[in-house]
Amino acid sequence: MKTLLIVDDEADVREFAANFFRKRKFKVITANSGKEALQEISQNRPDLVLLDIKMGDIDGIEALRRIRQLDNKIKVIMVTGKKPEEEDASEHCRKLGALEYIHKPLQLDELERIVLNQLIE
Amino acid sequence: MAINYKKELEKAAKGMILVHRPDVLIKMIVRTIVQKARVRHAGILLHDQDKDTYILTVSRGPTGLKIPAGFCRVDKDNPLIRYLSNPSRYNQLGPFLLVRDNLKRLLRRRLLPETKKLAKDILYQMEIFGAQVCIPSFFRQELLGVLFLGDKNNKRPFKQEELDFFFALASDAAMALQNARLFQGLQLQLERNERLFLSTTKALAGAIEAKDHYTRGHTERVTQLSFILGEKLLQKKFSGMTTDFLSELRIAGLLHDIGKIGVPESILNKNGELSDEERRIIQEHPIIGARIIEPIAELSFVAKGVKYHHERYDGRGYPEGLQGDGIPLIAAIIAVADCFDAMTSDRPYRQALTRQQAIEEMLAKKGSQFHPQLVDVFVELYQEGRF
Repeated sequence: MKTLLIVDDEADVREFAANFFRKRKFKVITANSGKEALQEISQNRPDLVLLDIKMGDIDGIEALRRIRQLDNKIKVIMVTGKKPEEEDASEHCRKLGALEYIHKPLQLDELERIVLNQLIE
Repeated sequence: MAINYKKELEKAAKGMILVHRPDVLIKMIVRTIVQKARVRHAGILLHDQDKDTYILTVSRGPTGLKIPAGFCRVDKDNPLIRYLSNPSRYNQLGPFLLVRDNLKRLLRRRLLPETKKLAKDILYQMEIFGAQVCIPSFFRQELLGVLFLGDKNNKRPFKQEELDFFFALASDAAMALQNARLFQGLQLQLERNERLFLSTTKALAGAIEAKDHYTRGHTERVTQLSFILGEKLLQKKFSGMTTDFLSELRIAGLLHDIGKIGVPESILNKNGELSDEERRIIQEHPIIGARIIEPIAELSFVAKGVKYHHERYDGRGYPEGLQGDGIPLIAAIIAVADCFDAMTSDRPYRQALTRQQAIEEMLAKKGSQFHPQLVDVFVELYQEGRF
């Protein structure tokens, strides 16, 4: 069973996304901040991280940078609430090793497809 | 068998037409359905005109799936949206509305491959949203939104009668929603127009300041003084004062000297005392100003303020020598503000009075030059430190 880490500072989002992927036979762990995410990663080594960009303490991009220092192989998908015309950090995130960069509101079927694609060996 | 919650929902739907904020309305619809129809959760995928996609606007329920608002969307090429957008295809998957249990039953039968694929795709979409039923709502043949309902709390299937009823309700809600959107659009348009009008007026008022060197800042100050005097009169429930009056007063303040555009610059900026002829010409500015504004029917009230702001309470002013309450209130207010600002400003032929001196001067001319009650209120504002 693959392990998924969902990082978002909104409890509703964590709860919904966790249930969504649990139903799809993933082991899901969650973190409400960048700091918590780093702890979870060093303890549980998830296969994939869904990382929200806008968060209180350290933002998603900084978290991504620190994840890379911790573990070079872990797969990361960035999620942003910003519209592409407002802010587009996709290039920056790709350089830091994020595999995908997706926008809220997101299509759930697409999200599932992206996650599954990344986890097929 | 009658549906026990039908009446309550119908009543709620009728009330919706009175709600003018789309976001409030949508929350209301979903909450009402969840409570009255006793379902685990309900949500609305609503068409977003800007992005041309369907956004999950609200989803709530006491026990069911809770999807955060604005978290997901469904694009137009999604099988669910494609199917519901096109009612002529509805018979493909059985009677009318989409019900998850019916689709499952359908899939156990022998089906054409494309029907099977369609049913599977849609079933998958419904499962994502935890939807037992999906109900389309249309406005002028356009799919405006999709209302979805989770399972009933008691797990029983929805009756056909209930589904028909929800469909009717969704149509009413779509109508109310469209109404609310139009209203909001109109409201925004109105606000934009008002802002545009005010800035146009300010630009026009600026034209006179460019020409008359001694009145720089005068227009702005007179507008401000008139406005606070008007506000105070409104507070005191002075006869004839209303909030509409106040906004017209602001415009009249901005435009009160607009007629000076028709007065030669040599006279306006003259260093020294004016001849009788020059004085006669300058005294035409209220009439010229009124004439400039008069073609705008909506500003007829403002035009009065412009035309009569040099009338005196005792009838010795110009241009018509109106007297006492014969002078429109809007003009009498501007007269007070205008004279005060003139007295406290430097002129080529005399130095400015202090504000205290100007106030004393106004008290001395109360009832002769100025409307006595207006002077009293103006002095009160001065003593309160309002200017």
